[in-house]
Amino acid sequence: MSRRDVGFVLLAVVWLIVVVGGMAYTWRYKTIPGKAATAPERWPAASELRRPSDRPTLVLLAHPRCPCSRASIAELARLQAVIGSKVQTIVLFLRPEGMKEGWERSDLWSKASEIPGVAIVADADGREARVFGTHTSGEVLYYDRSGILAYAGGITGARGHEGTSAGFRTIVSLVRGQRVDRREAPVFGCSLDTKSTESKGRT
Amino acid sequence: MTEGSGNVERLVRLAEDRFDAHRDANYRYTDRMLAYLLIAEWVFGILLSLVISPDAWEGKSRILNIHVPLAILLGGAIVAVPVLLAFVRPGWILTRHVIAIGQLLTSALLIHLSGGRIETHFHVFGSLAFLAFYRDWKVLITGTLVVVADHFLRGAFYPESVYGITNPEWWRFLEHAFWVVFIDIVLLISCLRGVKEMRRLAEQSAQLEAVALSHMRG
Repeated sequence: MSRRDVGFVLLAVVWLIVVVGGMAYTWRYKTIPGKAATAPERWPAASELRRPSDRPTLVLLAHPRCPCSRASIAELARLQAVIGSKVQTIVLFLRPEGMKEGWERSDLWSKASEIPGVAIVADADGREARVFGTHTSGEVLYYDRSGILAYAGGITGARGHEGTSAGFRTIVSLVRGQRVDRREAPVFGCSLDTKSTESKGRT
Repeated sequence: MTEGSGNVERLVRLAEDRFDAHRDANYRYTDRMLAYLLIAEWVFGILLSLVISPDAWEGKSRILNIHVPLAILLGGAIVAVPVLLAFVRPGWILTRHVIAIGQLLTSALLIHLSGGRIETHFHVFGSLAFLAFYRDWKVLITGTLVVVADHFLRGAFYPESVYGITNPEWWRFLEHAFWVVFIDIVLLISCLRGVKEMRRLAEQSAQLEAVALSHMRG
């Protein structure tokens, strides 16, 4: 082997270390969760949303322009196909303070609107997000028919990554009345906190 | 050594030369073709990151989505060395194995950039099909090892991102790898048949040359 080829072999080894390191960083980043919700154990009386007493209510809080929440909305569409009308599903899209009305009507809003049986609501000034104690886009709260919090967390397995997740399966089990092992899961998405100093979620 | 056995030996050597030349030309052609493909995929990845979601948000603050620098820098790093070797050292064994690694890592990056969409996973199978152009089954093994290693390591460190559960069985990566091996078997048969065909053509070409030479002498 010529000295030139030995150089190429060394270059290939260094290259492999760099790209494998890059991929590892990417996956580490994708699996860092956002700030978890401190959701009330009972349906909050301060909420302006209506909760039916004959079926559970699922609330997904999303930032309308969060790229990671694309996967959450895609997973919600799959979830909705399974749980259907057995649950009242509401998607709340944040409209931060100071933003014009309609700012929240992004393509994510349009995608969510296309899911059958889902009510879409604008969360002006992030009021409902505060009432429900959520900080990260993609957070799903599942209250049973008596208004008790049964699940809080995400429905994706990584940041902006479609595919089945523990949260997804927990909700399906809850709807089917099956035993669940966990009542919370990490949530991956943009920060819903409008004050930059409060932002803990990663984008 | 008789004249007859000497002629056969010359014919065998000629056939081997033709076969080696044809195989080398195929390696060089495929190196270049895949280098252009890698460059195109890099550009595609950048466009994907810019078109789908160039921005991320924190409350009401807009920030650059990490997908953009990842597509440019990591994507660029992934294709850089394979493309360099394809043009500077075409036909070399290391070149095609580096290209195989780069091609399958590009699949992993595109899956990441598209948000893990199931449709993008088909890129893995397309990549293996492109690698089969080499007609070298060992290159397919290298590509497959990248897929298996990616699933094994992600399954070990970030299991929920691959399997949707936090404590999968240790062998779960084999279930995914099985389908990759399935297409590998098809492509491997195609590679071996391709090599056999190349060898047959080389032998025929050598025989024709030998006949033509004997006619000229006669």
